[in-house]
Amino acid sequence: MILSRLWAITGEVILALTPLVVFFLLFQLVYARKPWSFVRQVLTGTGLAAAGLILFLWGVQVGFMPVAREMGAALAALQRPYLLMGLGFLFGLLATIAEPAVWVLCGQVERASAGYIPEKLMLVVLSLGVGLFVALGMGRVSFGWPLYYLLLPGYILAIILIFFSKPTFIAVAFDAGAVVTGPMIVTFVMALVVGIAGATEGRDPILDGFGLVALVALAPILSVMILGLFFERKE
Amino acid sequence: MLKESREVLREVGLAILPITFFVTILNTFFLDLPLSSLVRFLGGAFLVAIGLFLFLQGVRVGLLAMGEMVGAEMLEKGNIVSILLITFVLGVSVTVAEPGVQVLALNVDLVTGGELSNTLLIGVVGISLGIFLAFAILRIFLGISMGYILAIGYAVIIIFSFFTPANFVPIAFDAGGVTTGPMTVPFILSIGLGVTSVLPRRSEMGDTFGLMGLASLGPVLGIMLLGVLFQ
Repeated sequence: MILSRLWAITGEVILALTPLVVFFLLFQLVYARKPWSFVRQVLTGTGLAAAGLILFLWGVQVGFMPVAREMGAALAALQRPYLLMGLGFLFGLLATIAEPAVWVLCGQVERASAGYIPEKLMLVVLSLGVGLFVALGMGRVSFGWPLYYLLLPGYILAIILIFFSKPTFIAVAFDAGAVVTGPMIVTFVMALVVGIAGATEGRDPILDGFGLVALVALAPILSVMILGLFFERKE
Repeated sequence: MLKESREVLREVGLAILPITFFVTILNTFFLDLPLSSLVRFLGGAFLVAIGLFLFLQGVRVGLLAMGEMVGAEMLEKGNIVSILLITFVLGVSVTVAEPGVQVLALNVDLVTGGELSNTLLIGVVGISLGIFLAFAILRIFLGISMGYILAIGYAVIIIFSFFTPANFVPIAFDAGGVTTGPMTVPFILSIGLGVTSVLPRRSEMGDTFGLMGLASLGPVLGIMLLGVLFQ
């Protein structure tokens, strides 16, 4: 069963990378005409990426996903939502600090604010923000709050903040949403929450299981713009 | 090369650490999962780590070079229409290969019992991101303020969500989040940098950045639309 998954995944990954390879070869033939060494370098990279993607998805499918769902079911059976929220907070915090792209972003913010917002402060606020939103996501699936109650105020706040923020901050903030939704949060936590939703009575795995990535992506958008606004006032 | 590999290795190690820590704490104090599950988890973590390492390495060795080459060449030789077209095709191509998109699609396929198949989801997410990416590039050429477009985009999404079947809404919002990952971000940034470098007017930082934010609104709307059509 585990090996047969590998074949299926290999097919899917090849399918997923085909458009890029076809596009590249066409572009090379029609426009670019780069030397063969360059083509070989790109194709080697694509081959490596394909092998990596196959192993990654295999590990996700046979390891992460089933165990995360099993853990989700066991966590739901504990019926301790506040514990779940606390652990979610801790997890969001750690995962953010450990993400290299986040450090790059914090450096960007320091430069965009001409040093008014120090890198370390941004890192602290961002990690707390992501922790808070993962905790809220856990609370949502435990207590059955509709996604709207969390996303709608968040989105509306984001729209309001846009009108009060400097263009540089808006741009950095919205790109920051990308930074924290790395492969780890997506692979493990998504399956965990789907597991919790599937095992909790009265929850629907589709309605309550998804939505966490969206929440997590909101955290940095709001934190960067709020920090920007706060420090602009101080200037 | 070796130094870069070490850097990637460190990144992967750091990324895998919080999960392993989380699972260990949970299992030591609160849960009592069978040993076979823990072995499974560790095996999975090992595969995920090696896979991610190879993937990131491949992106750095070959795919980034390709993104930069395409960005530079298309601006040199192309007109606005072909630039937008190439941006669209490239946007679709990198999104369907993004690990996060694949994982979301797997989860959705599993939970819906194959009713919303992963191929369909990946296809819709890719195409809608491509359209919005082309649109985001067009915005740079036209010089429309990023803030207004984002505000309008968010407002449209909120309104749209009220007309979407309820069980598609969370998936749609998640689809926006997962499109931004180690594959799409460097590609899209290199295109953005290319475009701003040939602009006649002085460009602000706000021009290049924010591309990702705008492009990832596409899949949210795309999946919502799919939900309406599914009904």
